[in-house]
Amino acid sequence: MTAPVSIIKLNHRFGDFHALKDIELDIDAGEYITLLGPSGCGKTTLLSVLGGFIEPSEGRVSIGGRDMTRVAPAKRPTTTMFQDYALFPHMNLRDNVSFGLRMAGVERRARYARAEAMLDLVGLAGSAQKRPHELSGGQRQRVALARALAVEPDVLLLDEPLGALDLKLRRAMQDELKAIQRQVGTTFVHVTHDQEEAMAIADRIVVMNAGRIEDEGTPARIYRQPASLFSADFMGEMNHIPASVTPEGIDTPLGRLAVTSGFSGACVACIRPEAIDLNDGPIALGTARVKDAAFFGTYVRAHVIPDAAPDLILVANLPPGEVPAPGQDLVLSAREEAFHIFPTGD
Amino acid sequence: MTRAVSWIYLAIAFAFIYLPVGTLVLFSFQGSTLPVPPFDGPSARWYAEVLSDDGLVDALSNSLLVAAGSSILAVGLGFFAAYGLARHVLPGSVAIRGLLIAPLTVSYLIIGLGLLIVLTRVGLGLSLLTVAIGHVVINLPLAFAIIYASMGAQQKNAETAARDLGAGEMQVIWLVTVPMVFPAIAAAFFLSLTFSWDEFIIAFLLSRFDVTLPVEIWSLLRSGLSPRLNAIGSLVFLVSVAIVLLLEFLVFRKRRA
Repeated sequence: MTAPVSIIKLNHRFGDFHALKDIELDIDAGEYITLLGPSGCGKTTLLSVLGGFIEPSEGRVSIGGRDMTRVAPAKRPTTTMFQDYALFPHMNLRDNVSFGLRMAGVERRARYARAEAMLDLVGLAGSAQKRPHELSGGQRQRVALARALAVEPDVLLLDEPLGALDLKLRRAMQDELKAIQRQVGTTFVHVTHDQEEAMAIADRIVVMNAGRIEDEGTPARIYRQPASLFSADFMGEMNHIPASVTPEGIDTPLGRLAVTSGFSGACVACIRPEAIDLNDGPIALGTARVKDAAFFGTYVRAHVIPDAAPDLILVANLPPGEVPAPGQDLVLSAREEAFHIFPTGD
Repeated sequence: MTRAVSWIYLAIAFAFIYLPVGTLVLFSFQGSTLPVPPFDGPSARWYAEVLSDDGLVDALSNSLLVAAGSSILAVGLGFFAAYGLARHVLPGSVAIRGLLIAPLTVSYLIIGLGLLIVLTRVGLGLSLLTVAIGHVVINLPLAFAIIYASMGAQQKNAETAARDLGAGEMQVIWLVTVPMVFPAIAAAFFLSLTFSWDEFIIAFLLSRFDVTLPVEIWSLLRSGLSPRLNAIGSLVFLVSVAIVLLLEFLVFRKRRA
């Protein structure tokens, strides 16, 4: 089962703290959305509003076209996969997974059959009689997923579900979560502060900061054409070059760049480390001296100091050939679309 | 050398604790009519006498009834008080918590006298029921404190998950909270049971015709020493030991697993 979600003019305050500010978001049925942002940005509050655990100060939430703003969690077509899994330690896995169906009055045989099927879906077939304490962290996470999906929710809410797992397991579970989502077709709303996880998993990323939506779009769009400086920085490493917009182009310490932008005045020109090329290119960035460089397998990461701006240190991810020695001179260039210009001082 | 000293010390400490009880049990099997050395048993005559004494057997069953009834009530009330205070933000919850625990610091004599005055004033005649009410008063703070201490974030999250999956409030309490804090509930219950079982002052002040075992023993004591008293004492001790062992096997073993 699946359903679209609409969030309309949502505001929430905890006392004086304005936790959610004018949130507007439409989620399609069957979409995999991640809410991405640093801690305290309001992403978990937004998820709690969707789940019914927090009643918003203003605004509406509708799921499948029905107004759910003041409906209790038990009565919503949503289930939540909690950060600490919140499994019932005194029940075996079958009883854990079938709990929601038991509450819905499904008779024992049917709900047990469904629980076994859900455990099978998450790769825990044959563990129905085990108790949560016998499982590893990754397995508990799967049980929590099976339990939340067993009641066939329209929308599954995931609160940093992979936060407690080690990096390798986390990457493996990302793929699995996505595969399971494709299989069941439920709308997934997934909260995380890990931008790699968000990119790996989401159809659409919603970047949040200080209670607002900063940016939303596909992972590639947000990474390549971020809508704000915050979004640009949060999605990955970024070189910041102070600059100002003039009618002829953008003046930077590296010279005038032939890049267009829609405004004038003081700005910051951003470029990702991997967008800095060696040798001559469409936009010359002049020569630079290597401060240090290290081999990272698929690329060489170098800190370089442009000759034209000795105060500036740029990070460049260079092709994984020879590792340049400190003090070596490089000629840098970039393509026009590699630059993102954001106004400063507003 | 120091090792030997510590073993000796341990032996002396245990002898100090258990010698009186051991002597009591030993002379309950005395053959003659005085529970003093030399030992001339073993004989089970005093047990036979005790168990055929209707007054004593009644007192024994009264004690069990009062202990079980008052403990169930104290644990039930303590659980709901703990649940309410742990899960909801109430105005003045610190004061409420303090008031719930405060009776622990009041002497049983004062509680007993206070209850005696209040209960006679409201016209409730003294009976086993009033004794049980007194025991609820002394055991409720203890049950509340034990259960409240066991209610942490883990249960709270599981309760939230249960609500999210469609459980009503009573289902949350019965299917999630109670099983998760069951060790604390059982510990509170068995402790209340032993306290009620041993309690004398309140039972003495608040009972009239039907009395509990400690009160019956006290009235027997007035007629002087007899191996009968040793036999009764041994039986009381046996029940206490049984409760402690039950507690150990049912509660603490489970917690270790």
